[in-house]
Amino acid sequence: MTWAAPSRGFRGRDQRLGRAVMTFMLFLPALIFLGIWFVWPLGQLVVLSFQYDGGAFAAYHELLSSEVFRTVFVNTLKLATFVTIVCAILAYPAAWLLTRIKGFWFSVGLYCILVPFWISILVRTFSWMLLLERNGPVNNILMSIGITDQPLKLLFNDFGVYLGMVHVLLPYAVLPVYSSMLKVDHRLLQASDSLGAPGRTTFLKIFLPLTLPGVTAGATFVFLLSLGFFITPALLGGPHNLTAAMLIDSFVNERLVWPLAAAASVILLVIVLVVLAVTSRFVSLGSSVVVK
Amino acid sequence: MKRYKPTPQAAAQIFGAAVLAFLVMPIFAVVPASVNEASFIKIPPETLSLKWYGAFLEDRGWMIALFNSLRVALLTTAIALFIGTLAALGVERLPKRARPFVIGAVLSPLIVPVIMISIALYYVTRSIGLYGTVPGLALGHALLCVPFVLLNVSVSLQRLDPNLARAASGLGARPTYVFRTVTLPAIWPGLASGGVFAFVLSFDEVVISLFIAGYSAKTLPVKLWEQIRVEFTPVAAVASTVILAFTVLLFIATRMSARKRTASSERSQ
Amino acid sequence: MDARQLHGVRFDKVSKSFGEVKALQPLDLEIKPGEFLTLLGPSGSGKTTLLNIVAGFLDPNTGRLIVGDKDVTALPPRLRNIGMVFQNYALFPHMTVAENVAYGLKVRNVRGPALKSRVDEALEMVQLGGYGDRGIDQLSGGQQQRVALARAMVIEPDLLLMDEPLGALDRQLRKQVQLEIRRLHAKAPRTTIYVTHDQEEALVMSDRVAIMRHGEIIQIGTPAELYKKPNSAYIARFLGESNLLPATILHSGNGETSYRIRGYEGNFTVPAANCAENEPGEAQILVRPEALKISQTDENSLRVVVEEAVYLGELTATKVRFADGQEGWLRAMNSPAHSVGDVVRVTWSPEDSRLLPKGDQADN
Repeated sequence: MTWAAPSRGFRGRDQRLGRAVMTFMLFLPALIFLGIWFVWPLGQLVVLSFQYDGGAFAAYHELLSSEVFRTVFVNTLKLATFVTIVCAILAYPAAWLLTRIKGFWFSVGLYCILVPFWISILVRTFSWMLLLERNGPVNNILMSIGITDQPLKLLFNDFGVYLGMVHVLLPYAVLPVYSSMLKVDHRLLQASDSLGAPGRTTFLKIFLPLTLPGVTAGATFVFLLSLGFFITPALLGGPHNLTAAMLIDSFVNERLVWPLAAAASVILLVIVLVVLAVTSRFVSLGSSVVVK
Repeated sequence: MKRYKPTPQAAAQIFGAAVLAFLVMPIFAVVPASVNEASFIKIPPETLSLKWYGAFLEDRGWMIALFNSLRVALLTTAIALFIGTLAALGVERLPKRARPFVIGAVLSPLIVPVIMISIALYYVTRSIGLYGTVPGLALGHALLCVPFVLLNVSVSLQRLDPNLARAASGLGARPTYVFRTVTLPAIWPGLASGGVFAFVLSFDEVVISLFIAGYSAKTLPVKLWEQIRVEFTPVAAVASTVILAFTVLLFIATRMSARKRTASSERSQ
Repeated sequence: MDARQLHGVRFDKVSKSFGEVKALQPLDLEIKPGEFLTLLGPSGSGKTTLLNIVAGFLDPNTGRLIVGDKDVTALPPRLRNIGMVFQNYALFPHMTVAENVAYGLKVRNVRGPALKSRVDEALEMVQLGGYGDRGIDQLSGGQQQRVALARAMVIEPDLLLMDEPLGALDRQLRKQVQLEIRRLHAKAPRTTIYVTHDQEEALVMSDRVAIMRHGEIIQIGTPAELYKKPNSAYIARFLGESNLLPATILHSGNGETSYRIRGYEGNFTVPAANCAENEPGEAQILVRPEALKISQTDENSLRVVVEEAVYLGELTATKVRFADGQEGWLRAMNSPAHSVGDVVRVTWSPEDSRLLPKGDQADN
């Protein structure tokens, strides 16, 4: 009878090995793909960033010591911060409304969030260009109701960039907030009401704290996306609205200084990773990713 | 109609509704712009005409760009479905603790700023001969699409009762037969929605395309970008409307099929 | 169906652990050909682990599993020819009733008219003739359960495994399906391993019941044996209601054991055959409520106080308190009414009592 045990153990090991090999094979395409098409190119870029004339860190030194480049990074951070705050403020009531409506109007509301996700950022930005034009409908309306005599300059300046960015990134803020509101157990609110708390207290002490993780997750998405945004600021902004992404583009396409482009994008990536590391201590971003 | 009391709730609801309207309304401004007869853009249009659609269809440049876009999007979808689905099946076989790390690795292209991915791909595609080609562009887009396929398929896999596969193998089915008859039908909705989203994502993509499409694989969004940096023409509005129509149609199609699915699964409750 | 070869099952030192957790202690068990064996125990007792090892969904760490005269330990599930009914039925949701039932036959290359007639026959057997074209979502829970049964039986399995198959049904339906399964088994016996945590279900359906706890079989026997001759207070309490009184064993001999009950004078005796414990010292005496009787004499009886009388239709249950504060129940047909506070004497015949080891008090 003792011979049975070793043969069993062997088969078990054998099978577990076969299973592990099979699992590995399933990941193999993803591994090869990400290795060749993601890790290797980014690695090349990082290497490149240390190959500027004048030493390993020359590219970083030039970027960080130049007033012009520093301003671009500061502007990018300012823009991202502003857009994030505005998106968070706008997203909260919109998400809340979604939790309060049902049936047909709920579908309409939900589609207002989902449709923009699907539609090209370029098309959405172009729409704003047409609306905000000197002779566009926004200026026409403003003039016809007498707010202004002359067409306002709404495009190719701060206003255009900020408005366009908020519009493009707002859906990313609404969905996480909405899903965190759905998770709130309504009995908690009823409990607070039944204990005699006024509506404001119930909101501030119960609802807001419980939905804050969703706000944090949404704000993080918006912040990270706006840091690297290219299309919208490039189209809606003026010469002063240079962002980090546009700077990188000009390094590559106009000035042909690859090490500076590489170093600038590495800096951008580091900022992104730092923000992620900080916020992921507070909220699990992964659980807010699933869009449904 | 109930009379509104000026409560904070009502104010918040009205504000929320305004935000939702703000989200979706401006998107469609390109549609009226595309049907104006004049050779400049006017919203609202003065004389309705489809003549710029004719111009769009007759323009070789726009048509090539449209076909490039479709080719790239189809290839991207195929690549993303292949890689993403296999990876999702792999994730299911991992111990629960290991899953977040692997999923995080596959999702990491979404975290890196697109501009960085774009110039990195620009840098390497030139050296390996994939710059300005449809496959090169499709592979680039797939970086952004694989995560969505993985997430969608994973969601369907998690809904799949593991006992179904056990029941099938207990009844004598080989693993491949179990996959074909039990697993595949169950993850089909995830595959479909992941695939459609990958298609749309690729069809819409601008930044990576701007850097690696070059002249020979120029897509519709790249052509549109070049056009509107110079001037706003009605044909650009037509191109935008075409992109918009494609996406909205696909969106409606997936919603309809999703609704059908929920309806039939609700019936089973 | 009639010329079927019946297979027994033998477990030879089979054990299983998950990491540090020992899910199954090394176990030897023999199931006779055509026997209906139930594994009964609370969740976490190892019964489902054992079933999954038989099905091949889990590999044991040690030991061998023999079905018929074949060692199947190394066979994958698909080669074991086993029919399994899952707790949630695990019916393929995208197939019709007939397609579900046909699945295992198609895998076995049954085609055409033979396939159709066997599927129809199987559906007839579970009284679902004519339901073949329905979708799974159009069936009630009980009907789904029967489709699962038909799907498992139609492949003529060597072994039928059922993992709490009635767990999702309501009480009424459960009774009905219990009898249905029992009827099918009586008509065409097939070696069956049935897992449940419902003791009534186990007693109604099984030829033998194995009671599991902490990854071990602590007692195995026919339902009657287990009810009448439990080996521990745990089993006594698990199967039916019981009066358990602390006792002290005095001595054994002459085919009987004498003992004393805490709080009472006098010695009592029990036949040696009814002793799961006969070492002198602490023990427990078990008397089932229906064995306890009101006594008219002082001989061999205990003085108790009536605390409550519950009318149960043809039966009356009387709650009494013993001298040491222990409470117990007495159940009898048309027992004379007693009012609360009455002091009465109760007795039982020695062969209706059983001496059990002292342990198993609190840990249940």
